Amino acid sequence: MPAPPVSNASPRVSPILEFHDVTVAYGRRPVLWNIDLAIDDACLFGIIGPNGAGKSTLLKAALGLVPLAGGSIRFFGQPFAEVRSQVGYVPQRETVDWDFPVSVSDVVLMGTYARLGWFRRPGPRERDLARESLKRVGLADVAGRQIGKLSGGQQQRVFLARALAQQADVYVLDEPMAGVDARSQELIFGVLSELRDAGRLVLVVHHDLRTAAQWFDRVALIDRRLVAAGPTATVLTSENLERTYVGRLDLLDELGRAVEERGRTS
Amino acid sequence: MNLSFFTDGGGMHAWAIATAAMVAAGCGLVGTLLVVRRMSLLGDAISHAMLPGIVIAVLAGGRPGGLLVLLGAVAAALLTVWLTQVLRTEGGLAEDAGAGVAFTTLFALGVVMVTAVASRIDLDPACVLHGVLELVPFDTVPVLGFEVPRAFLTAAVVFVGLSLAVIITWKMQVFTAFDAEAARAAGVPVAAVTTGLLVATALATVAGFEAVGAILVVAMLVVPAATAELLTRRLHRITILAILLGVAAAGIGYLVAWWCNTSAAGMIAVVLGCEYLLAVFFAPDDGLVSRVFTRGWFHWRVACEDRLAACWRREEMAAQGNPLVVANRPNLGERLADRWLAITGRLNHGPRGWTLTRRGREQADMVVRSHRLWETWLGRHADLPLDHLHPPAEWIEHHLGADVRRRIEAEVGTRASDPHGRSIPPEP
Repeated sequence: MPAPPVSNASPRVSPILEFHDVTVAYGRRPVLWNIDLAIDDACLFGIIGPNGAGKSTLLKAALGLVPLAGGSIRFFGQPFAEVRSQVGYVPQRETVDWDFPVSVSDVVLMGTYARLGWFRRPGPRERDLARESLKRVGLADVAGRQIGKLSGGQQQRVFLARALAQQADVYVLDEPMAGVDARSQELIFGVLSELRDAGRLVLVVHHDLRTAAQWFDRVALIDRRLVAAGPTATVLTSENLERTYVGRLDLLDELGRAVEERGRTS
Repeated sequence: MNLSFFTDGGGMHAWAIATAAMVAAGCGLVGTLLVVRRMSLLGDAISHAMLPGIVIAVLAGGRPGGLLVLLGAVAAALLTVWLTQVLRTEGGLAEDAGAGVAFTTLFALGVVMVTAVASRIDLDPACVLHGVLELVPFDTVPVLGFEVPRAFLTAAVVFVGLSLAVIITWKMQVFTAFDAEAARAAGVPVAAVTTGLLVATALATVAGFEAVGAILVVAMLVVPAATAELLTRRLHRITILAILLGVAAAGIGYLVAWWCNTSAAGMIAVVLGCEYLLAVFFAPDDGLVSRVFTRGWFHWRVACEDRLAACWRREEMAAQGNPLVVANRPNLGERLADRWLAITGRLNHGPRGWTLTRRGREQADMVVRSHRLWETWLGRHADLPLDHLHPPAEWIEHHLGADVRRRIEAEVGTRASDPHGRSIPPEP
C-alpha cells in the first residue's frame, strides 16, 4: 500500500482540485464555457455528459495538454506544473498504437519515468513497483508479453497499472470503461475504489449513466458548460439529465463557430 | 578473393566498407525510432531537403563532412519540418502532402544550385545523388599519424555522438514515441525530444551523404528498421538488430558490387532490400513460411482428427446394432490421413475396413467429447434448431483444450448426453 497522500499546506485550505472560470478553445473555437468546480475531498468523482460535451477536454485542460482560453486550474492550490508527479493520467486506450514494440512491463515502468528524471534508469525499486502495480490489476502473468497481444480490457488495465506505478495522489482517467469487458470493468472499479479508500482523488470521465449512479460518490454533469455537480444522488435527477442530454445548447455551438469565423476573417 | 583485397592500396576497400558500415549503423539507430513513430516519410524528406543546406555551406567555404556542412544540413532539415508544419496549419495540407511539397521543392532547389555552381565548388552533382563510396578512401585526413578517410571520420564521430544521445534520452524517446500525451502530462518535453530526433536524422543522413548519396541514404534509414521490426518485438532489440543488418548489408553489398563491377552504394541498398525480403519469408512468428507451415500443419491435424472421429462414430453405430452400410469413398486427403494414422499406430486395417487402435480410440474420444460437449453447451445457451448445432461443433472440436472441456462439463453436468441423446465420452 502506498503511503497516504501528502498535503502540501499543513492546514489544508485549498481544494484538491479546483477549476475556476475555465474556458477552453480549440484554435479559436470555444468548446468549454466558464467551468467552476471545486473538489475538496478524496472521492470517486465522475464527469458525465453526452458525446462532444467536452469531458475529455476538461481533463486535458487540467493536465496542461490543451491551453486555457480563460480561468485557472489548481491542484492543492498550485498550478499543475508544480504537482505533475502527484497526478497520474490514464488516457483513452485508442490514443496509442498498441502494435508499438514494447512489453507490458515496459509500459508500466513509464509511470516511474517522471520521478526518475532524464538520467536515472529504472532500478530494482521501480521494477518492484511495476510488478506490484501489475498484480493489483490482475496482469502479473503477462508482464513480458508484447502489448498488442492483450485484449482491450487488459490493455486498459496496463494503462491503469502505469498510473499506479506513479504512486500519485490524484488519478485522472479518460473513459477507462469504454470497450472493456465486464471482468476488466469490475477489476478497474475495484482498484479505483481502493485508491479512494486510501485517500486519493479519482477523477473519471464516463459516459454510461446506468453505471455512473452506482460507481461514483460525486459527479459533475457537463455539456459544454457545467450543468450540476455534487453527490451522485442529488445530481443525477431527471431534471438535470434532461438539461444535459436533451436540452442541448445549440447556441453554444453556433457561438463557438461564429467566434472561429470572426477570428479568421479579421 | 584473399586478405590482400582488404589491405591493398592502403586498405582502400577496407576503408570504404568501414565507412559504409559506420553510415549504416548511424542510420539504423535513428531510423528505428523514426519507423516505430511512423515518421519514415519525414526521414525521407530530411535526407533530400538538406541538399540546398549543404550546397550553401560548401559555397560558404565548408568542406564535405566538415562542421559547417553538418550545420547547413541540420538547418535545412529543420526548415523542412517547419515548412511542413506551416503548410499543415496555415495551408490546410495533410502532413504527408505538406512534407511532399516542402522537401521536393527544397531538393529541387539543391539540384539546381549544385548544377549551376558545380564548376566552382568541390561537389559533384552525380555524387550528390548516388554517392561514390569507391572514392571515399582517397580524401584522407591524418589522425594520430594515420591517414583516415574524412568521410569515415565524420560518420564515426556522428555515430558515437548519436549513440550517446540515444542512450541518454532512451527513456524519454520511448515514452514520447509510444504515448506522447501521457509523456507530456508527465513533464517530458515532447517537442524537444521530437526535434532532437529530427536533428539526429539530419546528422545521420548528412554523414552518409558523400558515401552513398542523398537518395540511397533513405534506404539505410528505413529498410533495416523495417526488417528488424519483422524479426523481434522489443524496441531495444529492434534497434541493435537494425544497426547489425545495416552493417552486414554494407559489407556484403560492397563486395558484391566490386565483384560485379557496379555501384557499391546501389548494391548496398539492394542487399538491404533482400534482407527485408528474407525477413518477410522467414521471420519466426509472422513470416510467410512459418504462417504457411502453421496453417498446413493445422489442416493436417484436423484431417487426421476427422478420420479418427468418423471411425469412432462408425464403431459406435455398429455397437448399437445399426452398422453403417454405405461408407463414403474417402478422397485423397482422407486416404493419406488414414495411411499416416496407420503408420503412427492409431488405425488398423482389418477385414471390415479401418478400426481404431487403443491409442487411436483415446484420441478420438477427446475429439468426439469436444464435439458433443460443445453441441450441448450451445444447445443450452442459444435457441437453435438441432441441425444448427453440428457445423459449429465440427469446427470447434479441434480447438477445445482439456481445461475448457472441464469447464463446459462442470456447467452442463457430468451425466449429460448431447442434444441428439448420445453419450459424451469422459475425460481420461
